[in-house]
Amino acid sequence: MRLPLVLAIGLGLAAPAAADVAQAVNGVILPGYQAFADRTADLAKAAAQDCRAEALQAPWQAAFDAWAGVSFLHLGPAEEDGRALAIAFWPDPKALGAKAQRGLLTGDPAKLAPEAFAEQSVAARGLMGLERLLYPAEPLPADPCALIRATADDLARMADEVRSGWQGGFAETVLGAGQPGNTTFLTEDEAKQALFTQLATGVEVLADQRLGRPMGTFDKPRPELAEARASGRSLRNVTLTLVALRGFAVALTPDIPRTLAGFDKAIALAEGLDDPVFAGVATPQGRLKVEILQQSLRALRETMLAEMAPALGVGIGFNSQDGD
Amino acid sequence: MKRLASALLLSTVLAGPALAAEPAEVVATYADIAEATYADSLATARALREAVGALIAQPSDDTLQAARAAWLAARVPYQQSEVFRFGNPVVDDWEGKVNAWPLDEGLIDYVAEGYGQNEENSLSTLNVIATPKFTLSGTEVDATVITPDLISGTLQEADGIEANVASGYHAIEFLLWGQDLNGTGPGAGNRPWTDYATGDACTGGNCDRRAAYLVAATDLLVSDLEYMTAQWAEGGAGRAAVTADPQAGLLAMLTGMGSLSYGEQAGERMKLGLMLNDPEDEHDCFSDNTHNSHYYDGLGIRNVYLGSYARVDGSTVSGPSLSDLVAAADPAVDAELKGKLDTSVAALTAIKTAAEGGFAYDQMLEAGNKDGEALIMGAVSALVDQTASIERAVGVLGLSKIDFEGSDSLDNPTAVFQ
Repeated sequence: MRLPLVLAIGLGLAAPAAADVAQAVNGVILPGYQAFADRTADLAKAAAQDCRAEALQAPWQAAFDAWAGVSFLHLGPAEEDGRALAIAFWPDPKALGAKAQRGLLTGDPAKLAPEAFAEQSVAARGLMGLERLLYPAEPLPADPCALIRATADDLARMADEVRSGWQGGFAETVLGAGQPGNTTFLTEDEAKQALFTQLATGVEVLADQRLGRPMGTFDKPRPELAEARASGRSLRNVTLTLVALRGFAVALTPDIPRTLAGFDKAIALAEGLDDPVFAGVATPQGRLKVEILQQSLRALRETMLAEMAPALGVGIGFNSQDGD
Repeated sequence: MKRLASALLLSTVLAGPALAAEPAEVVATYADIAEATYADSLATARALREAVGALIAQPSDDTLQAARAAWLAARVPYQQSEVFRFGNPVVDDWEGKVNAWPLDEGLIDYVAEGYGQNEENSLSTLNVIATPKFTLSGTEVDATVITPDLISGTLQEADGIEANVASGYHAIEFLLWGQDLNGTGPGAGNRPWTDYATGDACTGGNCDRRAAYLVAATDLLVSDLEYMTAQWAEGGAGRAAVTADPQAGLLAMLTGMGSLSYGEQAGERMKLGLMLNDPEDEHDCFSDNTHNSHYYDGLGIRNVYLGSYARVDGSTVSGPSLSDLVAAADPAVDAELKGKLDTSVAALTAIKTAAEGGFAYDQMLEAGNKDGEALIMGAVSALVDQTASIERAVGVLGLSKIDFEGSDSLDNPTAVFQ
C-alpha cells in the first residue's frame, strides 16, 4: 500500500490526472471491493456451518464494516443488476423489505434457491435483510435458518460480482478514460469528474440521509428512522464511511489541506458522539450534537467543491441519488 | 414571430455558427415553454374539476369514466413539466403538493386488507373519509368539513411522514380508481361509481365525505397550478430566476434534464420499482397510467433541449434552443445528445405501446418477467446514457454545476438546511 502511494505522488508531478485516478482505483476501490467480497464470503461460510443469530452477528458486522468502505460508489458494476440497491436497501419508508421477507419466511422454499432468490425484491435481501433476521425486534414467524443462508449466499455472490466486474473490466474503463474505443469516459476529465461526483455525493448522503432522516424536524425528530438501528450500527456506518471517503479523497487529489481538515473535523465529531443509534435526536441537546455533525459535513462538501474540483480541473456531475 | 425567428436561425446555422442563438433568447424560450406547459396543466386540471363536479352532481358509471378520462388528459401536460423541477427551486419546493408519490392511501380512504398498510406509518390506515374527528401528533383534529386547507395544512405529510400524501394528482387518482388489487396481474383499480352514490346506493361508506374530499383535492390542485403558472408569466419568480442571469438559466435547464433523467426517472421511478418487483411501486399505480407518466417525462426532457413544446391545443411554442447553442459550440456533442434523447423517447414509446397493447406496466414489474424487465431496463439504460451527454453539453457551454450551487446557497441560505 505504501509503495503505490509514493509512486503515485512521484508520477503525479509529471502527469497528475492519470496518477490520481490510478491511485483511487488501485489503492482504494479495488482493495475495498476485495475486502467486501472476502467478508461476505466469510459470512456465507459461517452461515453454512451455524445459522444461529449469535454465531452470525460478528461476521455480519464485519461484512457491513467492509461495505461502509465502498458504499458511496455508485458507478460501474455496483449499479448493474441493482446490486448496490440489494446489498444495502435503505431507506425503506414503506417497510417493503419486512413485508417481502415475511413472504419468503413462510412461503414456497423454492424461492430460496440461488437463481430464484436473486430475482426477489431488493428490499428483502442483502445486509438489511439479514439485519432483520439476526437482530429481530420480535420473534420471527418461522425458522429463519434457510432464509439466512440464502440471503448470505446471495450477498456473497453479488459482492463477488462487483469485485470481479471491477477487476475484470471496469477498472480498465476508468483507467483507460480518453483512449480510443472507450465510450464510457471520452476524456480523462470525465473519469475524474465521475469519481469526484461519488465523493461529493457520498458526503451529501451522510448529511441528508443517514443523519437527516433520524433528525427529522425539530418538532418531530424520528430516531426510529436511523439506518441499521437494530444492530446498533447507525453512527458506526457514518464514521466508517467518512474515513473511507477521506482515504478516497486524498488518493484522488493528494494536495487538499482544507478538505482533509474538514474530514478530520467531521471524523472527530463523529467519534466523539456518544450516541450509537442517534437516539439522542429525541432531546434538544442530543439533536444539537447530531446537527453540528451534519453542518460539518455540509461545510466539508462546500470545501470539496471549492478546493478539490479546481485542483482536479472538473465540475460535479449528476448522481444516481438526485431523485427524491 | 417565433416561427420566423427559428426559420432564420436554421438558415444562419447552415451558413455558419457565428450568428447562433444567444443564451438570453434560449432561456426566454425555456420560460415560454414552462409557462405554456403549466398553463396547459392548469386548463386540463380545470376540465378535471368540471368532470369531478359532474360526477358528484350525478354519480354514474358514465360520469366516473368521464372524470377518469379528464384525469388522464391532465397528466399529459403536467408530466412534461417535470423537467422544470430540478434546477428551479420555485418548482422543486412546490411540486410535492401536486405530484408526491408513493403514498399510503389508507390515510385518505378505505383500503383492502393486506394492501396499503405500512407498519412504519401509524396513519397509513387512518381513513379520514370515515373519520371526522381524530388525534394527530397529540392534537385533536376536526375534519367534519373537508376543505383544501385541511388537506394541505393538516393532512399532507402528517406526522412528518412523506408517504402521507393527501393532495395532488395521486390522491385524486386514488379517489377515482381505488386500489389496484390485481398485483402484477392484468387490471387497474376498480372503484365502483357507487362510492359516490347518495343514500342507500352508497358503497364503501361515507360517500358524501368522499365526494367532499375529491372536490377539495381537485380545487387545491387547480389553485396550486394557478400559482405555478403565474411564476412563469412575465414578472413571475420562475421566469425571473432563469432570465436574470442567462448562464445560470442554461445551467438550470441542463440540471433539470440531467437530474430528471438519471436520479429521478431512471433510478427512483423505473429501476427501483423493477428491483422491488412491487406493483404498488409504479408511478400511476391506481390507474395503470405509468407508461404515459414515464413517456411524457421523457418527452419533456427533449422539449427543453430542442426548445419546442406541442401544446394540448395542437399549437407549438418554440424558439432558439439549447440545441442551437450546443451545436454552435460543438456539433458532435449536439448530434450525440439529440440522438440519445431520441433513443430514450423511443424506448419509452416501446413501453407505452406495449402497455396500450395490454401488457400493463405493473405486469412488467413481475419478478422474473424477462420481457418486462427488458422494456424497462431499455429505457433506464437510455436515460442513464443521455445523462453522460447532458454532462458533456454542460462542459461545452463552459458551465459548471458548482458555480450554480454556490449562487443558490448564497441567494437562499436556508436551502442548504432543507
